Amino acid sequence: MPPLPLQSDWAFVAGNLDLLLAGTGVTVGLTAASILLGFLLGFPAGAVEVYGRGPLKRAVETAGVVLRGTPLLVIIILLFFGLSVSSSAFVTATIALGLRSAAYQSQIFRGALQSVDEGQLEAARAIGMGRLQAIRGVVVPQALRRSVPGFQNEFTIVLKDTSIAIVIGLGELLTVGQNLYQGGQSTAALEIFLTVSLIYFVLTFVTNRSLDYIDDHFSIPGGERA
Amino acid sequence: MSPPLLELDDVYKSYGEEQVLSGVSFEMDAGDVDVVIGPSGSGKSTMLRCVNRLTEINGGDIYLDGDCITDANTDVNELRKQVGMVFQDFNLFAHLTALENVTLGLRKVRGMDKAAAQEKGYEHLEQVGLLDQADSYPAELSGGQKQRVGIARALAMDPKLLLFDEPTSALDPELVGEVVEVMRDLAAEGITMLVVSHEMGFARSAASDIIFLDDGRIVEHGPPEQLFENPQAARTGEFLSRLTHEGE
Ligand SMILES: Nc1ncnc2c1ncn2[C@@H]1O[C@H](COP(=O)(O)OP(=O)(O)OP(=O)(O)O)[C@@H](O)[C@H]1O
Ligand SMILES: [Mg+2]
Repeated sequence: MPPLPLQSDWAFVAGNLDLLLAGTGVTVGLTAASILLGFLLGFPAGAVEVYGRGPLKRAVETAGVVLRGTPLLVIIILLFFGLSVSSSAFVTATIALGLRSAAYQSQIFRGALQSVDEGQLEAARAIGMGRLQAIRGVVVPQALRRSVPGFQNEFTIVLKDTSIAIVIGLGELLTVGQNLYQGGQSTAALEIFLTVSLIYFVLTFVTNRSLDYIDDHFSIPGGERA
Repeated sequence: MSPPLLELDDVYKSYGEEQVLSGVSFEMDAGDVDVVIGPSGSGKSTMLRCVNRLTEINGGDIYLDGDCITDANTDVNELRKQVGMVFQDFNLFAHLTALENVTLGLRKVRGMDKAAAQEKGYEHLEQVGLLDQADSYPAELSGGQKQRVGIARALAMDPKLLLFDEPTSALDPELVGEVVEVMRDLAAEGITMLVVSHEMGFARSAASDIIFLDDGRIVEHGPPEQLFENPQAARTGEFLSRLTHEGE
């Protein structure tokens, strides 16, 4: 391996690792808050798309189409500079990422709910369970399990997209890297951004592995067919 | 005299323009096992589904134990507690074990506590010969075993009447016997059953009456000896002879 051109710049990265780790903390927090918000809004939205009717269903569908059709960068700039929904960059970023994620999570759950065959719902009704009771007790548990792979995908997308919060100055991982680079250490650009990339990769990898584990752990013995 | 356990009185059902049931009437007493036969599309499934109101009728009345169950103020969930159903495609709850499939209704509908529901669940799994599979999930069971769980699930609610919609027609031929055997046992125990099935062995040996449905009408209704040996309607004879030939 050829010697790295500027050995000392790795020392610069090492010396500022605490800042990068603090940024990583913000990234992780933002991811968790956004995914949670996306889940809390997206799951009911998916259920409304499958089981709802009338204006509520149409409103939910329209909101989804609009959110999925707008670039995240535009959403976050609009919320922060246009609508000033919050003076906190963290809160604004959470709302932007959370809403966008809700729009995608609703589609994951919608597909999963629809994939559980009608017959099971009918069988639950036939033993005297109410419609909501049957959906909750029979369809939802299976749909949640079937959502894990899609959810895994969504999780990594949100994690990486938290970096967009750089445009509203939130001190997440990429912003910290950028600040280090612009704070007079422009010679260390490669080292700084390689480190930032590596941290994103490690986060994504660990998350994926954890969700793989959850998928295995909660899978139904013998498979899904009844 | 006590009223019949089940009575259909001039029942009509249509889907849009298509008339599926056109004035179906019959009665069953407690302990009867009536087998419904008829060509594909004749309305057999529809008729069964009207009895537990998975499908709503357009005309006529249905009575269970003397009570009209098709008027607007009938609580369908109360009705369904009393009328069990066994499906062609089993429709087991895929995420639950055999035991949990049987106990779900006991817990959620009957409100039993876990221990009592399990005890009753085991009883019914034993009744269908599946005690050793209590902890298996549906995907780990054979078709015949699945259908026996389906029967146990319906039985556990202690219904007054059990509906079977072609319970063996999704099964490999070698698995039909175990399900028919369970159904024979139930018939012998005096459980009232309305069974759509072309399993002629079962019909001959266990049925009180055979109902031949064609094009939404009951063409012939009588004891198995009459229908099989001496059918009154030409249509019945034709259908049965076709059925026997296909079975060979
Ligand atoms: N939900 C529905 N919507 C519209 N038409 C229906 C519906 N269910 C049944 N039908 C129609 O009603 C007619 C009777 O159907 P049904 O399933 O009761 O017949 P079947 O005697 O059970 O037939 P098979 O032997 O094939 O099971 C058929 O023409 C069918 O297409
Ligand atoms: Mg049918």
